[in-house]
This record gives sequence, C-alpha cells and structure tokens, in this order.
Amino acid sequence: MPFREINSRMVEATIAPGRRMFSQRGAMLAYRGEVSFTPNTQGGQGGLGAMIGRRVAGEAAPLMTVSGQGTVLFGHGGHHIQVVNLTGDTLYVEADRLLAFDGSLEQGTMFMGSQGGVMGMVRGQVTGQGLFTTTLRGHGAVAVMAHGGVIELPITPGRPVHVDPQAYVAHHGEVSNKLSTALGWRDMVGRGSGEAFQLELSGSGAVYVQASEEKL
Amino acid sequence: MFRLQGSKVLAVDMAGDAVRAKNGSMVAYDGQMAFKKMSGGGEGIRGMVTRRITGEQMTLMEVRGQGTCYFADRASEINLVSLGGDKLYVESSNLLCADGSLRTGTSFTGLRGGASGHGLFTTTVEGSGQAAIMSDGPATVLRVAPGYPLCVDPGAYVAHQGNLQQNFQSGVTFRTLMGEGGGEAFQIRFEGDGLVYVQPSERNTVGGEV
Repeated sequence: MPFREINSRMVEATIAPGRRMFSQRGAMLAYRGEVSFTPNTQGGQGGLGAMIGRRVAGEAAPLMTVSGQGTVLFGHGGHHIQVVNLTGDTLYVEADRLLAFDGSLEQGTMFMGSQGGVMGMVRGQVTGQGLFTTTLRGHGAVAVMAHGGVIELPITPGRPVHVDPQAYVAHHGEVSNKLSTALGWRDMVGRGSGEAFQLELSGSGAVYVQASEEKL
Repeated sequence: MFRLQGSKVLAVDMAGDAVRAKNGSMVAYDGQMAFKKMSGGGEGIRGMVTRRITGEQMTLMEVRGQGTCYFADRASEINLVSLGGDKLYVESSNLLCADGSLRTGTSFTGLRGGASGHGLFTTTVEGSGQAAIMSDGPATVLRVAPGYPLCVDPGAYVAHQGNLQQNFQSGVTFRTLMGEGGGEAFQIRFEGDGLVYVQPSERNTVGGEV
C-alpha cells in the first residue's frame, strides 16, 4: 500500500529505489530521506508521442517524478484526498484532480467522443471536462482530490447511477457513461430545477462523487 | 429515510414519495427520479408574493421517485432535524432539504434579522417529518430551558426550534463608541423551551464590526 492517509487532506507515500511515483507539480508538503523531484516535461509516461497527444488534448497537467528512498507527504489546496486502489481495471479522472499516483500505473488519454460519438463530445463540454480525459490502468494506488468529502457509489448492472456533472470526480470499472437530459419546457422559460443535465453511468464499477458542486 | 453519508452528503431513500430540496443540490441518484422546480417554494400564490416582498427568496425543487437520492451543497456540514409538530426557524439559504409533508412559510424576525445579516424575515418549517439544515462547520445544538436563557452571536446563529422567545440585546458601552469594543456588541437572547443550532463560524455582520 503506497499511500497512507495522515488525515483527510494529506497522504504519505513511501518511495523505494525502483519504485518511483508521479505527482502534481508543487504538491509535495514535506519529505524524509533521500528523495528527488524531477519536473516531468513529458507530463507523464509514454514517450514523445503520448506527450504530444496530451498537449493537443489539453490534458497536460504539470507532473513531476518522485524517486529515491524515503517518505513524502502530499497535499494540495486544502482539498480532500481520496485514495483509490486499482487492481487491473481502469480509472477515468480529470488530469487536474490527480494528486499523485504509482509509477507502475499506465497513463493514457481518452477521447470522450470514442464513447458515444457526438453525444460524448457534447457531454465533455457540458461537464466541463473537455473532450479528453486521463485514464490510469494497472495495479497500484491513485490519490484523487475533491472539494468536500467523497462518497463512493457502486454501479451494478441494471442499476445505473445518475451524477451531477459538477459533482463527478472519477469512476472506475467497466462503465459506460452517457449524458442524459431532463430538459423540459420549464428549463426553456427559465424555471428549471437546476438538474437539467446528468451523467448516467451504467455497467459495473464505482463512481466517486464529491459533496460540492464546485470544480477545482 | 433521511440519513447522512459522511457529514457532508445527505442520502434520502424514496419509494414514490416526494421531498423538497434546494435547487441544484442533487449530486447523484440511483433509480428513477424526477426534478421539478417549485415556484415560491410550493406555498401558493400568497406565499410567492410574500417571499418576493420580504426578500426571503428560496428556490426549491420537488424530487419525486424511487431509489436513493444524494444531496450536498458547497461542502457544507449537514444536520438532521426531526420535527414532531413543532416549528423550525431557519434561514432559507441554510435549508437543504425537507420532507414533502412539511409546510414552509415566512415569518418576521424583528431587529435580530437586521443585525445577523439575514434580512428581517426568516423561513419557517412546520409539521411532522425530517428536515436537513446546512452550517459552516459542524453545528452544535444548545438546549434552552425555562430559567436558563441562552445568548448567541447573530453571525453564528443557524436555526432554532421549539417554543422560544427571542430578543435582541446589545452590550454597547462607552468603550464601543470609542472604537474599543470587543466585537461582541450584539447578541440574540433566547428564552423558553427549545433548541438552538449554532455554527463554529461567524458570518460578517454589523454586530461583529463594533
């Protein structure tokens, strides 16, 4: 278990030789031991091609590589931190919500349009996620930031979960998402309930929802 | 059927019934839900006009359906209140969710409202059922009994319920006028029998300045 939760807003990570870690640039609070921080111009893994891909996609969060031996404390902006353990499945998360993750995880960028075509692109725009999102796959742990606490809602087949796009943090598992609209004549005349757009997640996995409608 | 998921998320289990919640406060749901804005908080034309005039505006939506609905607003702490026929006085901005069977209305608060930065009117919730109110930081519930009055800083006051008389008291002295006040020039004094909800944070009020 690479992350140990100190309190709800701080995590401690253990770094050992050969086990590096990626974190958001500037998120280190304190460290013990011989640890070095190298800014990661490529913004992650995958070589030059992946770097260009992320730049184009606007998912190039400034990352740094943390390596050496010791323990490092991470935290950022007083936001709540949720540690997600991945066991071979894929986590979908916005790049700017990523605090730190294991170097063993495979990082990628996903085009929202590849799930649901044009509606996927519309969804990306409405949710403020943009057209691309970051994926992490493999075995390891990820620390994700959210405003307010995070609750984990399980998604089981036949019981889809609807989430307010502004409160959506991340999801993992075999989940397909689509934007569902509840637009009626009331919204057109300015008497909407404020819940016109929802993200419908179905399949099997889990979604992380924050207790606030503020983006980071 | 109201339960807290952590301290900042309210989960409501519904089976075909309805609740009223602050507009746009849903964060997630499973099952089938329908959201409908209630003009004037579902108090009819008279209530709507009263709210417009008093400035105690409240945008509520009616949520009806089957399943579990999760509510949260700006990471505020949530407190559950059960009402058994008594009346809850709360600021409309601090009311997150109420049972569909509860009635809401407006009432005049007098001088207190002006000093607590709330306006002169407040929202009342009446009937039997549950309501959820929000506070900045976890709220403390203080009991007021006959013979044991309670004084509260207007900026930290959130809500009260029960049979309480409130009046405004000021500790303005010669020192306050000289600009040497302790920042506690005004208090609300509660007398009677009931509960007062106080938050560990103070809004900016006129009283806090002097």
